[in-house]
Amino acid sequence: MLASIQICKEGPAGLAQTRAPRMIGAADRRPARRDREKKMKLLVVEDDETTGAYIARGLREEGHTVDLVANGKDGLVQAMAGQYDVLIVDRMLPQIDGMALVRTLRGAGNQTPALFLTSLGSVDDRIAGLNAGGDDYLVKPFAFGELSARVAALARRPQAMERETVLEAGGLKMDLVRRKVTRDGIGIDLLPREFALLEHLLRRKGRVQTRTMLLEAVWDISFDPMTNVVETHVSRLRAKIDKPFSTELIKTVRGAGYRIDA
Amino acid sequence: MKDRLDQILRSTPLRLALALIVLFSAVSLFSLAAAYAVTQRSFDQTMRADLFQDMAGFRAAPTAAALAGLVDAEARETDPERLILSYRAFNGRHYGNILIARDADGYHIISPSPGNPQITGRYLSLTASLHGGQLTIARSLNEVEALGDLFRNILFLSLIPTVLIALSGGLVLASRSAAHVRKISATLDRLTGGSAGARVRPGPGWPADLRAIGTKIDVMADAQETATEAIRQVSSDIAHDLKSPIQRVAVHLDDLEREGDLGDAGHHLLDKAKAELTGIISVFQSLLQIAQIETGSPRAGFGPVDLGDLCQTFFELYEPPAQDKEHILEFTRPPGVFSVNGDRALLGQMLANLIENALWHTPPGTRITLSLAAGAGRILLGVADTGPGIPASERDLVLRRLYRMDRSRSTPGSGLGLSLVSSIALLHEAELHLQDNEPGLSVTLSFTPT
Repeated sequence: MLASIQICKEGPAGLAQTRAPRMIGAADRRPARRDREKKMKLLVVEDDETTGAYIARGLREEGHTVDLVANGKDGLVQAMAGQYDVLIVDRMLPQIDGMALVRTLRGAGNQTPALFLTSLGSVDDRIAGLNAGGDDYLVKPFAFGELSARVAALARRPQAMERETVLEAGGLKMDLVRRKVTRDGIGIDLLPREFALLEHLLRRKGRVQTRTMLLEAVWDISFDPMTNVVETHVSRLRAKIDKPFSTELIKTVRGAGYRIDA
Repeated sequence: MKDRLDQILRSTPLRLALALIVLFSAVSLFSLAAAYAVTQRSFDQTMRADLFQDMAGFRAAPTAAALAGLVDAEARETDPERLILSYRAFNGRHYGNILIARDADGYHIISPSPGNPQITGRYLSLTASLHGGQLTIARSLNEVEALGDLFRNILFLSLIPTVLIALSGGLVLASRSAAHVRKISATLDRLTGGSAGARVRPGPGWPADLRAIGTKIDVMADAQETATEAIRQVSSDIAHDLKSPIQRVAVHLDDLEREGDLGDAGHHLLDKAKAELTGIISVFQSLLQIAQIETGSPRAGFGPVDLGDLCQTFFELYEPPAQDKEHILEFTRPPGVFSVNGDRALLGQMLANLIENALWHTPPGTRITLSLAAGAGRILLGVADTGPGIPASERDLVLRRLYRMDRSRSTPGSGLGLSLVSSIALLHEAELHLQDNEPGLSVTLSFTPT
């Protein structure tokens, strides 16, 4: 939802709270180069030097081309001039604030997807941000994996796939019309939420989905629970679709989330 | 309703009105009684004087025959109801309009004619022996008695309207001031209940004393709200200002990790630092969120929410993790829609916090039951567990920010879960009750349906 209004159609529309990201954990060891993503051209508009440099470095390590500017005016000029895949814009910027920047861009007909970074997190701020033309919203402090996954989600929308009625990966077939799942010809019974979870991952083959993205998309939940609910549900799903078979379909991306390889 | 009546009956204006009625009645009664006594006495005296005068007139008769003639003549024109004349001559003959005989027991009226068989009533009589016979003149006391009735009527007619006017005036004043007192009391309830914006705002029609009290309460509430707002602003500012440094700490820790060459001990320390940072972030987020909820802005996201759907979603979400933690999570969705006006995301977070609270603070084997019921114009949402519960003395404390019971210090959590639940409940005007589940904790939220 964050990612939502224009992008992930399955995202809920209004979110209310501050997400407390699990930014850091023992699993966070090797965050970079986990995605075999298309390389993108990105603009980061962030006035906090350390954070800006960190974001830019992380994204460059993933192979993207990154321009970094530290104020809203430069940001607007750059965004208008360059052909970017995604804009990463801090909400509070000197000279022109992030919201005004994106609103101006949209007014000028520029539809480059924009991800707001903010240290604010109220509903009003979020709704205002999304109304101003932002496509997703990430509250500081965030884990790099979260940012990376959301940027990837913004750049590559699953529109084309939405028309498909059968999804496939590694011998697994998912018939969305008859609501049947088979792997290597063997039928698998899934609960409704397990079905939704698998469908979400399959529709985004090759891309990491973070816990918070899955919570938003499958359960319409915009806060991060203390309990490892997503992990538990993914492991239930794995027990059904992976365990009885030789290869693992759902991969854990350390420090980030889950992915089904294309 | 009964309480309101009770309140009016015990209110100052009505008590004053009742006291005034009693006083006024006593004064009226006393003055009328005095007037009656005086009037009656003068009546009595006049009557006695009349009797003596009558008697004196008859005494003037020179002979018994003349007296008899006089009595007869007089009697023919006199109504015995008013005045009785009775003369028994020495020869036993009787003259007069009524025969009165006297024996040892007193007077007896013996009716002489069939037209007046019975004369009743009280009379004042005077008897004299004249010319060997006995003359009795008796004047009826009817008029005196009528005077008594008259005075009773006067008393009645003057008291009834007075009592009615005083009583209804008292009731009107009492219910008006009761409304004011109720407003003051409701405002104080809301202020203590956490609605810092509640005010009495006494109108110009209020009695001066109640208006003074109301105004003082408002001034006090303003001061309190300003102070609370300042504190809230400061803590919000601090939290916001600290977010960038926290983000930078996270960045530095990440950089440190990328350096490699940390060794096992280094990685261990790094993991510990990251875990602590996660805890700090979670506390900050919760504090900020509570502050936002308490300033009331999230009402923007309000709409109809079916608590049945919500409970089902969260039951399905938490059932597998509960099983992993060897807890039993139960929910039987009752038929029907349980719609309340609220923010779905916040209500979901509230429910999640309640479930997690039960999940994290109870031993394996604990049964956690979600329940949903409607009745008496309320919707009741319950989360009950069979764990160790919360002692009655600590039930209010656990709703406070950062309060943790001694035994929960070792379990994870920010100490803000239940205070977040409490502020979300307050935002939705839902009553939050913590009770003994015998054993365990039972949390109930009582909502107004839409």
